[in-house]
Amino acid sequence: MLELENMTVRYGKHLAVDSVGFAVAPGEIVVVLGANGAGKSSLLKAMAGMVPPEAGAALRLHGRELIGLPAHEVTNAGIALVPEGRGVIGRMTVEENLRLGATPARARGAEEETLAQVFDIFPRLAERRGQWVHTMSGGEQQMVAVGRAMMSKPEFLLLDEPSLGLAPIVVGDLFRALARVRDTGVGLLIVEQNVRISLRHADRGYLLEAGRLTGAGTADELMTDDAVRHAFLGGDM
Amino acid sequence: MLEHVINGLVLGGTYALVAMGLTIQYGIARIMNLSFGDTIIAACFATYVLFSSFAISPVLALLILVPAGYAFSLVIYRVIMRPLVARAPDEGALEVDSILVTFGLLFVIQGVLLIFFGGGYTSYSFLNTPVNVLGTVVAGNRLLAVVLSLLIGLALIVILYRTRWGMILRAVALSPQNAPLFGIDTDRAARTAFAIGGAMAATVGVVVSMFQTFTATAGVVFTMKALIVVILGGKGSVLGAVVAGLLLGLVETFVAAYIDPGLTLAAVYGVFLLLLLVRPNGIFGKA
Repeated sequence: MLELENMTVRYGKHLAVDSVGFAVAPGEIVVVLGANGAGKSSLLKAMAGMVPPEAGAALRLHGRELIGLPAHEVTNAGIALVPEGRGVIGRMTVEENLRLGATPARARGAEEETLAQVFDIFPRLAERRGQWVHTMSGGEQQMVAVGRAMMSKPEFLLLDEPSLGLAPIVVGDLFRALARVRDTGVGLLIVEQNVRISLRHADRGYLLEAGRLTGAGTADELMTDDAVRHAFLGGDM
Repeated sequence: MLEHVINGLVLGGTYALVAMGLTIQYGIARIMNLSFGDTIIAACFATYVLFSSFAISPVLALLILVPAGYAFSLVIYRVIMRPLVARAPDEGALEVDSILVTFGLLFVIQGVLLIFFGGGYTSYSFLNTPVNVLGTVVAGNRLLAVVLSLLIGLALIVILYRTRWGMILRAVALSPQNAPLFGIDTDRAARTAFAIGGAMAATVGVVVSMFQTFTATAGVVFTMKALIVVILGGKGSVLGAVVAGLLLGLVETFVAAYIDPGLTLAAVYGVFLLLLLVRPNGIFGKA
């Protein structure tokens, strides 16, 4: 279980995230829907130890407190972030990025198995294993990013707008692949603007507006929710 | 002709090693270490003392001085650099701070050497036997120097490109902001890289002292040549450091042999300018 409580992030006077709390269970896909500037990226960065939250926040992984740990130790603890911009290393090959992903001690022993698993979910990465990542398409780079995160044997995977900048057909493939990652028992927390595709694959979701959670429900409930329709879908479905 | 090629490779090999050490420190720890050459000279004198006072051969001295260089740099990083890293708001600030601090460190090391050894030229005679290489006579110590340079340079490249450890160091050099996502402790990588640079400086000191005379104030020459090689090869590129180092060594030797020894420095800067006009980011530099 990954439990977040009272998460607040401030940049100077600007309040980016305001006392947000929720929980994600293993094998569950939870999506946080929010427009640009709603605080989605700040939320994930604070959870991953990349920006410091305000005092009083709590993030527990199976009861272990993670707030205050540096980013690499959050990764070591079993939380992998795929940030905006993907966080891959462009001037390394696909295989190097993936193997480097297995740096945490928890992932070393199972490196070859996990690599086989990643190649099974993303066959294209197996074909392109020797290619430099910066020469690949956006969709392929996103696969590398998700594969890299899987290589760290995470219990929970945090994804910052994985659909950003990708063609619709590529987005569909990516979310189907993410559903297969979930089937391995990993819990997924996805922040997205792309409501339709993310709710199609999610179990539950939250609405994030101006740094606050303003709504919650199952994927089906949110799909028909008036607030969601207004905010993201322009009325008609 | 062959004689000049070998001498060029001896010189170029040491340039390559110096530049590799400097570029690893700069690329990964983001510290431009101006006291690098003085660390080399300190190792020269240490080798001299071990050889002349304790009869320890320079090859064995490597086993003592390389770990010592590693440890020395680790202490320097912990005591002097770490506070700078902690307070620097960005990489640019760290570069400026580190240049100023290592510039100061240069004079501290130099001063200590001057107190103990004075300002005169120092050398010792080790393996000064002529060896016949394909019909050309080369001093044994020079031959040993080029072999050691090649072995150590090769070992470093293998470590950087064929081991997880090396992969981690390269990742920090290429993408410091993303490295933590891979579970990499960037702090640890930085101090390890700085210490490896120190070990490289010690290596160069031992190797150079076998065939060259040195003075307590000669460190700045090494640092300057190394900076040229690093920029020529492409900032942060280890392979570039090797290629540019060898190139520079060959150019210097050939100019000295066929044109005029007084023109070596001019030739070096000529090559430097010419290459930068064609490739502003260096031979292996990224745009």
